Amino acid sequence: MLTYILRRVLQTLVVIALLSYVVFTLMALMPGDPVEMMIASNPKITAEDIVRLREFYGLDQPAWKRYANWVGTISQGDLGYSRTYRVPVMELMGPRLLNTLILSVCALSFSLLVGITLGVLSALKPGGRLDSFFSVFSFAGISIPSFWLGIMLIIVFSVKLGWFPAGGTQTIGMEGASWYREFFDRGWYLVLPVMSLSIQQIGTFMRYARSAMMEVLRLDFIRTAKAKGLSRGRVLWKHAFRNALIPLITIAALSLSNVFSGAILTETVFSYQGVGKLVYDSIIANDFNVAMVSFIISVSMVLMMNLVADILYGFADPRISYS
Amino acid sequence: MSSANPPVNDTATMQRMEQAQSMKAIVFRQFLDHRLAVVGAVIIAFLLTTALCAPLISALTGLSPESQNVGARYLLPFQKAVIPSDQREIAMEQWINAHPGEAAVLQKALIERNLATGDEEEALYDVVTRDIVEAKQGLQAIRDLPGGDELVKMSQGWERFHVFGTDEIGRDVFIRLIYGARVSIGVGLLVAFASGMIGFLIGSLAGFYGGLIDAFLMRVTDALLSLPIFPVLIVFAAIDLNKIPWLSSLIGGEHESIFKMVMILCLFSWMTVARLVRGSILSLREREFILAARTLGARDRTIIARHLFPNVIAPMIVAITLGVGESILFEAALSFLGLGIMPPAASWGNMLNNAQEVIYNNIWLAVLPGLMILITVVSFNFLGDGLQDAMDPKSIRR
Repeated sequence: MLTYILRRVLQTLVVIALLSYVVFTLMALMPGDPVEMMIASNPKITAEDIVRLREFYGLDQPAWKRYANWVGTISQGDLGYSRTYRVPVMELMGPRLLNTLILSVCALSFSLLVGITLGVLSALKPGGRLDSFFSVFSFAGISIPSFWLGIMLIIVFSVKLGWFPAGGTQTIGMEGASWYREFFDRGWYLVLPVMSLSIQQIGTFMRYARSAMMEVLRLDFIRTAKAKGLSRGRVLWKHAFRNALIPLITIAALSLSNVFSGAILTETVFSYQGVGKLVYDSIIANDFNVAMVSFIISVSMVLMMNLVADILYGFADPRISYS
Repeated sequence: MSSANPPVNDTATMQRMEQAQSMKAIVFRQFLDHRLAVVGAVIIAFLLTTALCAPLISALTGLSPESQNVGARYLLPFQKAVIPSDQREIAMEQWINAHPGEAAVLQKALIERNLATGDEEEALYDVVTRDIVEAKQGLQAIRDLPGGDELVKMSQGWERFHVFGTDEIGRDVFIRLIYGARVSIGVGLLVAFASGMIGFLIGSLAGFYGGLIDAFLMRVTDALLSLPIFPVLIVFAAIDLNKIPWLSSLIGGEHESIFKMVMILCLFSWMTVARLVRGSILSLREREFILAARTLGARDRTIIARHLFPNVIAPMIVAITLGVGESILFEAALSFLGLGIMPPAASWGNMLNNAQEVIYNNIWLAVLPGLMILITVVSFNFLGDGLQDAMDPKSIRR
């Protein structure tokens, strides 16, 4: 078990290191570098100035050397400075990460709740009317472009009906209000983003929950439980569902990565101030310091959580061996 | 395996049941049982035909995906738009230059019949630049003269019917959706097939040779699978191809953004197929028929291509079909963010590019492209599901 954990940790670290290097070189290939922008904004700039600026920012060095320098400063705790926001990257990242975490956790729990319930319900009578209806629904869920669903939700619920805000994270000036008012205000802004982010996961969870449940319901101990005269609900939830949960835990853990992927789009559509929007905005604005740091930190966190889920899974199901 | 089969009495049914059925026939018959998959297949066939016939449709309706009409922006569905008078004037000028003799006669006739006022040279222009109804009537009146017929025909194109309305610069949405289908479905199919092939190659190498190759390839596969794919796609899609000279000379040109998209999506969508193929090949390579082939002196690549490939093709087809939908979704999302297919080429994703701003002007601009994506992806997913049911040997019903 310990060697397994160590091996997984090592693998994750290697992936993060490689990914950061690849992304670092790719950022250099994006249109426009910092010096080019200064050249564009200052007509009086001379050729010597350009050379000097390039040297100053280290842009004359090869990519691997710059990468090494960058890793050096990062490891000293200096995340750099944002060109567009004019604040240290560190200050930007904290609240953004928290916002994304709130959004992702809400979406994940909502989709688990809905997806598993609907999946179990459709497993009760495979091929029945309810099952076929839910099946079409889950196919639609995994096939709908989530960003488009977000736009449709905005049209219906905020433009036409005016029930929810069309975008943003919270009402301006709410920070000082009492905690429950702030809480409800944040919740209000979360409803539409969570709905649009959850739909794909709901579709996935439904299908897995259905097949896991059907698999378990076929087993002998279910028949035994029924034969003993246990009530239908007891057999279903106490006996069958608990065993069907095990494969579902893996799926839920793996979907964390999907939820974070989707969060970029959702945050952009709803201009929700999360880290996904920060990654996208800073790439578009050529703010490479922010782009690099926010990308690496958020992706690393997703990978770490995957790792933790993977290890915890071993405790949830003692039948798994890691040799 | 239904337990309540009614006893078969008539000989016709008996004979039919006793006949040997080919694998293809069984798969096809089982596929037909999955009603939604059949519906999906029909929709896909329809969409593909429409997409392939796009130039034909464009020629028949006189609509072009790139022709703008600033006078008719944000038209709602089922409305007519009129070509602005300056464009009519230009068209007329071209016609007059091409047919000077006929034009002179027509101009004279217009003045004589009191249809136009002023200078004889300007008579045709005068008629054409009026209100569209008057302009048409004016040309109709000189139809009997040589060349008049041609002009009337030309004037019919000045009023355009837009089934799905127009976008923010007055382009017809209907024809753009059709051209968008070419790009979106084309990218989806291309990515799915190419990544299926890459996946097969990597999966079969890993499964067949095992050992270090397997360990290395599967570590790479697992690493890519664990990444949140969309942020990575954004970073790759944002690079400027002009900074990589060899690549830009390879795929540069008019369709650069489309090829770039296909390439990036291929990089990150082969993993599912690779794992699938590796899994099957791990068990297949221990089977007797592989041993037999090897004993007969077959080389590794012969075994992989001739003996292993046909055995994994069924699950691969399913994975590729499901991959088409996924690729369409990724392409749409990237194009929506402005990092995918670049205008003026239309794709369903980039038609949604500024959907949030236009919903106040014309809601259909935000609704229709997304609806097309949804319908297409659902169809491919149903098709994949149906194929899975039909080709799975465990679920064969006779």
